[in-house]
Amino acid sequence: MEALLAAFAAALAPQVLLVVVAASVYGLFIGAVPGLTATMGTALLVPLTFFLEPLAAIGAIVAASTMAIFAGDIPGALLRIPGTPASAAYTDDAYRLTQKGQAGLALGTNLVCSVLGGLIGVAILVLAAPRIARFSLGFSSYEYFWLALLGLSCATAVSRGSAVKGGLSICAGLLISMIGIDIVTGTPRFTFGDTPLIAGVSIIPVLIGMFAITEILRKCATPAPASRPEALRLGALFAGVGGTVWRYKGGVARSSVLGAFIGALPGAGADIAAWISYAVAKRFSREPRKFGTGHAEGIVSASSSNNAALSGAYVPALVFGIPGDTITAILIGVLMMKGVTPGPMVFVMDQGLVGAIFAIFVVANLLLLPLGTVAILLSQRLLAVPANVLFPIILLFCAIGAFATNNAYFDIWIMLAVGLLAFALEENGYPLAPMILALILGPQIEESFMQSIIKADGHLLAFFSRPIAGTLGVLTLAIWLAVALLALRSGRRAAGAARRAG
Amino acid sequence: MRWNDAVLGAIFVIIALVVALDARGFPDLPGQAYGSGTLPTLVAAVMFCLGAAQIVTGVRSRAPAIRLDAWMRAPGAAWRMAAVPLFVAAFVLLLRPLGFPLVTPPLLFALLLVMTVRPATALVVAVAATAGIWFVFARLLGVPLPLGLLTEIVY
Repeated sequence: MEALLAAFAAALAPQVLLVVVAASVYGLFIGAVPGLTATMGTALLVPLTFFLEPLAAIGAIVAASTMAIFAGDIPGALLRIPGTPASAAYTDDAYRLTQKGQAGLALGTNLVCSVLGGLIGVAILVLAAPRIARFSLGFSSYEYFWLALLGLSCATAVSRGSAVKGGLSICAGLLISMIGIDIVTGTPRFTFGDTPLIAGVSIIPVLIGMFAITEILRKCATPAPASRPEALRLGALFAGVGGTVWRYKGGVARSSVLGAFIGALPGAGADIAAWISYAVAKRFSREPRKFGTGHAEGIVSASSSNNAALSGAYVPALVFGIPGDTITAILIGVLMMKGVTPGPMVFVMDQGLVGAIFAIFVVANLLLLPLGTVAILLSQRLLAVPANVLFPIILLFCAIGAFATNNAYFDIWIMLAVGLLAFALEENGYPLAPMILALILGPQIEESFMQSIIKADGHLLAFFSRPIAGTLGVLTLAIWLAVALLALRSGRRAAGAARRAG
Repeated sequence: MRWNDAVLGAIFVIIALVVALDARGFPDLPGQAYGSGTLPTLVAAVMFCLGAAQIVTGVRSRAPAIRLDAWMRAPGAAWRMAAVPLFVAAFVLLLRPLGFPLVTPPLLFALLLVMTVRPATALVVAVAATAGIWFVFARLLGVPLPLGLLTEIVY
């Protein structure tokens, strides 16, 4: 009880609370403006969080991403343009409801389910993370090596599109993470002589380049015209919401648990959770034909699921330092810069911090209800921001943000180079999530590999000698084999189709 | 801008070869066959195989070497897109000699004009955004944004 009070006292300290509220408002704006994704919003927050205490920094990222994932539903329902990819699964249903004059029902359901899903996700995080942490206290470098590799393999297995492209994306991320002085032998690698690359590629400009510059390039080419949906009234907002959510309460529970689990898988985030929960809800529904025609059941399931996924992603991130999605990948990058390395020891040594992080999650999800309501009521103004004014300002912000952490002009060049590279890759169907995961996990994989190989005196079989390490190792190899076989089969099928067409 | 898979596959293969060659010069741990070159070589090997697989896929697909997406062929799209890296490059190059307060407003104004914002709006936005970012980063967060030419005037 005392620990609980202490946790909430830390989370509600004026400085932290102020940061959380400010980040919430920012997150609502990011989510509501089409084209600004939750990941991009988080990447843009990083230069600012660099100057905050660890707890406030985590609070800012948690609050902003929670709000952004909900706020993405607003333009989805009003304009049929999902504000973030996580809202895409049920945009059609929500928009059809708006066309029927039930915009209030659509957005109210979105909001209530987002809060419920978020809270269930937090409950799973609070229950699961400390237990897994206690279990994994005895992990050695062998287990960590396989875990990190398993995380990466998982990222290719779940990323949409070609597994080969996912694999190449991972390789690129790993190689970028190896630039600079090698921690084990002290040799400079891939630095092209005596350049600023000796210190390694700093993570902030890479994140901004990968997630913001790519989007800016796309949006500057074809800026979307600002639109003016009809204003909503408070009374109309929550009419019928309670009944709808109660009718599909089973769907809320199922989708939230499913969402938290999918979020915990490395590489799969809120958008994949929403798609899968929508599909599952349709499968189990008594009225599957109504899906896509303005039916609330799919909205209920998918909008609770994507918020639950956000919290789920923190389970592997806090326990193992393995990001569950792109947002937690950014968070781990920020924590490492601040000298906090996530891992099971944090749960033993710094229970105060862990408790406060959990409390921040609860606070952020509860804040979503009032702030989200205000955002819906202000949606007309939010959506009227013209893209051609907004994106140049964001670009300037990116450049200064990349500069600000190390006060290095070189970092702005890195941001630009990575941005152009990531844009080219993404345009050609290469997923970026595996790349950022590899970039964050690269040092951990190499360190645990070198530690293990020194302990084992060069014998590779030692990697399978401990029971858990052996299991994880076999699991990783099995995933590789499965991905390779699937890729071969689909490659053959595509070749066959091409031959028939040719 | 979609390239044939073989084009990017070939680039990956070349990078893999360069990395593997470079990694041969990295020292091993004393008395071990492993060292700072081990993982780069492994990654390069995987990258080589996957890149080669992409070349095969690309050649088999018989897709054109390069294809422009519809949105990139829209009038002015390519020019607006090119303005983004041009803005950043000009910004970095001029930031130190001229200073943030002098470089930012004209560059941002120019970018806004390229983005077809009306000149009056663009002017207000450029000045206001410069002031806002200066306030947040230089005053609140203490980032030493360069003053350039203004250094002597201010101090």
